[in-house]
Amino acid sequence: MGILNLLFANRSVPGINNLDVYLNNNGYKGLKRALAMEPQAVIEDVKLAGLRGRGGAGVPTGGLKWNGMPKNADKPHYIICNADEGEPGTFKDRELMLKTAFSVIEGMTIAGYATYSSVGYIYIRGEYVEPAWQIRKAIDQAYAQGYLGKNILGTGFNYDLYIHLGAGSYECGEESALMSSLMGERGNPRLKFPHAPFPVVSGLWGLPTLVNNVETYAAATWILANGGEEYAKYGTEKSKGTKIMSVSGHVAKPANYEVEMGTPLLELIELAGGVVNGRLKAVIPGGSSVPILPADKLEKVTLDYEGCGANGTLLGSGGFMVFNDLTDIVLLMKRTSEFYMHESCGKCTPCREGTRWLYKILDRITSGGGQPGDIDMLLDVCSQIDGRSYCGLGDAACWPIVAAIKSFRPEFEYWIANKRSPLGDRSVPPTPHVLNPLLSLTAA
Amino acid sequence: MSSSISISLGPRQPLPEPATEPRFSAEAIAELEEIATHYPERKAACLPGLWIAQREYGGFLPPAAIHEVADRLGLSFSEVEGVATFYTMYNLRPRGRHHLEICTCLTCAVLGAYDIVHKLEHELGVSVGQTTADGEFTLGEAECLNFCGAATVAQVGDHYFTNLTADNVMNLIDELRKSEGYTPTKLADAIVKIHIPGSSKTGGGSRSAQQLEDPAGPML
Repeated sequence: MGILNLLFANRSVPGINNLDVYLNNNGYKGLKRALAMEPQAVIEDVKLAGLRGRGGAGVPTGGLKWNGMPKNADKPHYIICNADEGEPGTFKDRELMLKTAFSVIEGMTIAGYATYSSVGYIYIRGEYVEPAWQIRKAIDQAYAQGYLGKNILGTGFNYDLYIHLGAGSYECGEESALMSSLMGERGNPRLKFPHAPFPVVSGLWGLPTLVNNVETYAAATWILANGGEEYAKYGTEKSKGTKIMSVSGHVAKPANYEVEMGTPLLELIELAGGVVNGRLKAVIPGGSSVPILPADKLEKVTLDYEGCGANGTLLGSGGFMVFNDLTDIVLLMKRTSEFYMHESCGKCTPCREGTRWLYKILDRITSGGGQPGDIDMLLDVCSQIDGRSYCGLGDAACWPIVAAIKSFRPEFEYWIANKRSPLGDRSVPPTPHVLNPLLSLTAA
Repeated sequence: MSSSISISLGPRQPLPEPATEPRFSAEAIAELEEIATHYPERKAACLPGLWIAQREYGGFLPPAAIHEVADRLGLSFSEVEGVATFYTMYNLRPRGRHHLEICTCLTCAVLGAYDIVHKLEHELGVSVGQTTADGEFTLGEAECLNFCGAATVAQVGDHYFTNLTADNVMNLIDELRKSEGYTPTKLADAIVKIHIPGSSKTGGGSRSAQQLEDPAGPML
């Protein structure tokens, strides 16, 4: 357990985003091995590795996604890399693209070969200009040296890779909204299975489409270069390999840490230099959408899908935020609810209206206008949002608030009763400068 | 054309007249046509097309820009307007020469982001959302920019500025005043260029090809 640099092995090699340096460091070893196998054998290797999607949902990559694509080229197939990293707290895909761009591209090429696809798109959020330039550079070099384009390495495999940049929308990290955006529309999601087909059956332009996260493709590159069996040696029984955890907040050394699946949560905090400027109060281990855990509930939590799930939270994207005891949880939740309100695409009423209600209630509470019954109202609104929309953004807006009330209810009660933070002027985030007493006169 | 139709582009405006003069340069048209070949349907070039338009129209998208994108892609005005109004990075109104987008989301919020915003409001004399009288700075808050390890982060044009505090942010302001880069037009140019195969040879936006050699930023 602890740090295990598989995907990050070469990130500090000078010039690793140049093709000759990449080739000298086992670059394209995975693709060469894959091209010498049958496509199905490539999928079996990924299944053997036990890789699960690293975007947040943890779907078995080989077994459900790659294996779900039709095993012929009767119709055009598409590969999409979801590089719209938007989950607050997460910055791992940024570093993977910035520092190991070729490993992402190689993984997409391997996926293309394994699933009879000849076109791939990497959808990068518009804010990520620096990482996107490194991907552009890598793709240009790959084309120039025959690792992309027609007849790759003389095998007859054709594969084109295009970059498509977003323009500011968290919702476009949701796979169906991403596909809408790629096709030139507003980033609205589509219905999920069983009401609509999976993307591997019908995705972009109604054609079979594979959508995976940046880290998943980088892991696939490692798996094909070293063998699925090697990958499966690491991690736990159901969560194989490594997870890149993006650690930030009140720690001494915020950074991305690639750790073996199953590493204890508290060990990660130590690896990141421990808590600063106070004592540990709370951790959000997997991005703002996962339930926040108080300090006294962290001892048994391990960083794998089952370990987090068994302890009331989720591994999610690995956006690991650490908060010390100067943190006002109610103000934190207000800012979190503001994020979801802004980012709701607006299509579905429970999310569009519900996220706005959650923000308005929390804004009123933290402006001195809290009323008895507000906590119940928050929980009631959450129950009216959860599971009732086309995508999970609304759910992601509720889970943090339900968890925060469960573990930090006295702080909410204090705000409502005393119209200020229990931490006074020292709180982070700070109390809003302008308190609006008029807000207490209006219903939420 | 009926003047009773209103369009939700902020304050009520009359139905826009068709653009009198298209503004896409020959290079811009070539870029749009190249990008359109990446997809089986021309409509998919809508987002890149709006980025080209934002560059050609000086960093924002007036109705004429939306018209031109719609014309060139064979889409309706309302379809393209629908896309332009959905995504936060498309500017429907002009911005200052530097658009300061300070992240105030979770980690940045507990590490002083609001102190930075208040400091800038005080020093620049504007509220969030406003532009300074000299047209130099527009102050904004951003949702998570996803570089939380280097909090507090601000995006200005095509660059992330990192480890900002209320004490050091005015240094950034001084640097930006002197800089030709990190403008809304340069951001749009960088994004357009990134779509174009081979563009890493020449760079774009605020960066030359030389500056792409090694990734910038702290070793996180």
